[in-house]
Amino acid sequence: MADLSNLAGLGSEPSGEIDSSASSANNRSLRLAEKERRKGEADPFGLAVKYLSQVEAGTVVRGNDELERNMVVVETVALSKGLPPEVITVLLDLALSLNAGTTNCTRVLKFLIPATVVPQEAIVKGASWLCVGKMPMNAQVLFVRWVLTVFDLIDCKDNLRSIYGFIFSFVTEENLCPFICHLLYLLTMREHVHPYRVRKLLDIQAKMGRQPFLTQLLALYKVYHPDLVTLSLPSRVRTGFKNHNSTWKVALSAVQRKNKGAVLVDQSLSLDVKEKPSTRKRKLHHLAIPPLSSAFDSNSNKKVFRLQELRSFKELLENIHNIELPAQMGSLLGSALALHYLDCVQDESASLRLNFWLGHSLQEEFLLCPVDGSSDNTSETCRFLSTILFSQQFLQEGFSSTESFLYKFLSVWDGCLLRPQILDLLSDIPLMPSFYMHKLLFEPLKQLYFTSTVFFKCSVIECLNSMLVKWLTWHSVSALEGGLDISLNSNSTMTMTLSGFMDSVMELVRFVGLLASEGLRLENSMINLINMMFVVCDMFLKYSLPLIIMPPAGVFYPALFATDSVSVDRLGYIMYRYRKNLTLAKKQEQQREQTFHISRNTYKEFNRNLQAMVNSMWNSWWSIPGSDIEIDKDLIALSKVAEPWCRFDLIHHPALFSYAIEFHQRCWPEKKNVDLGSIKIGKYWNWYMEFLFNQGFDGLNNFIRTNTGHSSGLSSQDDSSASYRFLFH
Amino acid sequence: MALLTPYSKVPELNTATVLLVENEEELQSKLANALVRNENDFNVNVRLARKLPLPVENKETRPRIDLIVFIVNLLSERSLQSVESSLAHLHSDCFLGKVCFLVTDGRCVLRHVTLSVSQTADGVNAAAVRLLNILKVSAGMSPIATTALYLSSLTRCSVTSELEED
Repeated sequence: MADLSNLAGLGSEPSGEIDSSASSANNRSLRLAEKERRKGEADPFGLAVKYLSQVEAGTVVRGNDELERNMVVVETVALSKGLPPEVITVLLDLALSLNAGTTNCTRVLKFLIPATVVPQEAIVKGASWLCVGKMPMNAQVLFVRWVLTVFDLIDCKDNLRSIYGFIFSFVTEENLCPFICHLLYLLTMREHVHPYRVRKLLDIQAKMGRQPFLTQLLALYKVYHPDLVTLSLPSRVRTGFKNHNSTWKVALSAVQRKNKGAVLVDQSLSLDVKEKPSTRKRKLHHLAIPPLSSAFDSNSNKKVFRLQELRSFKELLENIHNIELPAQMGSLLGSALALHYLDCVQDESASLRLNFWLGHSLQEEFLLCPVDGSSDNTSETCRFLSTILFSQQFLQEGFSSTESFLYKFLSVWDGCLLRPQILDLLSDIPLMPSFYMHKLLFEPLKQLYFTSTVFFKCSVIECLNSMLVKWLTWHSVSALEGGLDISLNSNSTMTMTLSGFMDSVMELVRFVGLLASEGLRLENSMINLINMMFVVCDMFLKYSLPLIIMPPAGVFYPALFATDSVSVDRLGYIMYRYRKNLTLAKKQEQQREQTFHISRNTYKEFNRNLQAMVNSMWNSWWSIPGSDIEIDKDLIALSKVAEPWCRFDLIHHPALFSYAIEFHQRCWPEKKNVDLGSIKIGKYWNWYMEFLFNQGFDGLNNFIRTNTGHSSGLSSQDDSSASYRFLFH
Repeated sequence: MALLTPYSKVPELNTATVLLVENEEELQSKLANALVRNENDFNVNVRLARKLPLPVENKETRPRIDLIVFIVNLLSERSLQSVESSLAHLHSDCFLGKVCFLVTDGRCVLRHVTLSVSQTADGVNAAAVRLLNILKVSAGMSPIATTALYLSSLTRCSVTSELEED
């Protein structure tokens, strides 16, 4: 009982004299008196525990001052420092045997805060008292809730598992049922699933209706024995279990925070976790990744390795068939080793439990918890979401519970709270049928997008861009493995055909096109949009997806007439890639009679765009009758611009204008009047083209080269070439 | 019954007026401060009210109101009731782009939510920025012609039936 002597020093207030109105001088004198007494006596806490362990059945409670005094001593220590394991056994026994009366039973349960671990014998004994059946119902409920609260502190669960059947028998009690189901959920192993138990649960479900806790337990049973549970369960079960730890939350977290040094909090083993390892405090009412508990399992006769005992990848590989998962599934999230294991083994029950824990945390602690605006609350949430993000990126697929959480959260998001994390999580969303995309994703995003800043708009487009890339990558990988029927991420049971996939991609691209066109109208310049088109134009070649979507007019024309050269160059590159994609598609169609078919409309659209671009930039004639950008001649004349037709060609284009002037000055440094038309003559034109493309406009270069047949820099080797090389050194 | 009409008055030069209606008066002042503190190209007038109809005495001196924002606190039922009763005092034309709903403390799932605000300082600032964007369009000051009606049609949330959470 070494630690008891440590704890005794904390009982500074003598029992029975808790006078809150005592002044500080009074306290000091009391303390001195207490110290004097203590020198002679043994510690009061140990004495109190000894007394309580000897309380017999039938002890008179009312008016029993001694009992009351000792209770108070123990209560004080419990709420300040927590109780050591032996004391917990004693107290639990005392409470549940009702030796000290029923009021004391609930009272003791309420302050039963463990300091380190809870011995499993105490729980087993408690369960046996439960079977005796003398406890009042609220005490029984309180006891089961207490077990759930301290579940992770129980040192070993083997004996609990062996009395699974006894615990299961309580499932028929209506008041106990939710909590018993939760406890069973945590304890169930494969060997516990039997047909008669399934039948019992189904009977109860028939009586009570489809309660979420029953459904959750049945879902877990189904994972272990799909043949025994034949009813259809929704693949995404909502958070099912009632809150159980409200009574002890505050006290428990306070005690654990105090004992931070003493309690063995295992730093979760992580091989390459990107975030710095902060001390993961076990705060039950905050969002935190719980640490992998380090309870020892010396009494277990199963030769299993606990996941938290592994220290290196090599050990994981050696023992991969013997691993037992921790009870607190959330602790797997921060550790790369654990994620490796999850990914290899593909254990459905593990992923079910992990998803459940994740969904529950996100729902209860984040969505439903009122935001109090404190900065550490937000930073904690931020860290939590970053950990989820890290895990998802490590596994290269998203969790289904994050997905449902995001759909719920998007409709109440204000666009500002935790924006980078939420947008990154959004881009991890797996493929979904196009029917749901509008309701779940597009509607809320639209509302946020159109009323937010430019920065937010660009971030959203970026996020949708990366989502598209992930979908395309996933498709190109899985299409290689399977046939046309592609199943979604490994945990989902939905399958999707190639045409369904194409529909979804098309919807996404169209949506971004809409966002982009309208965003450009509202904002004036958004270079970011063009990046999206990079991915889209190459869908055929890079990802072998037979889908070619042209950029909408609302994106194409602003880019064509943009005032910054980067957009123009990128547009050139995009048109060049489109041309490549389309020619290849046409060739394949003709040669091999593929099942896909690029519609004529696509070709028409491309031709139209191509015409517009070449005409504007090369032929100096941008307002063709019948095109999208035809403007009445008289209107143009009103603008009083000289030579309006060539205003968007390679020399006069607002984006390239400055280069033309620079070139002009280099060619004719002595000329005072700038006459850009003189660049068009003969060899100057070729030099200008080379000069322009040396500035880095590769996209434009490719575009001009392939569409007009003009190639710069490959002119004949005459001596003028030598001279122009001299010019540009 | 005097209805609040959107176009009955002449707008002032380079000015936009926004009316914040909130029953509890919690978020109003914070939001008003944030709105005014932002650097804008145009003058922003913020008027506060607890509910509609607005008092008759100021009717002549009141400028044209470009945007009406109803602030609803989802944790208080009275807030919602007050907004509902105020809505009866609005001319139907106002709903074509001149009315906006701002929701706070909304953590449960809702549909048809237009704007949601979290109570942090950042959240209030962000909400103010978004309101200004909407205000700019409502007051007709958007650079490329975008009318309030068009913007509201872009951000419209279609009425959906209960999705099977499957």
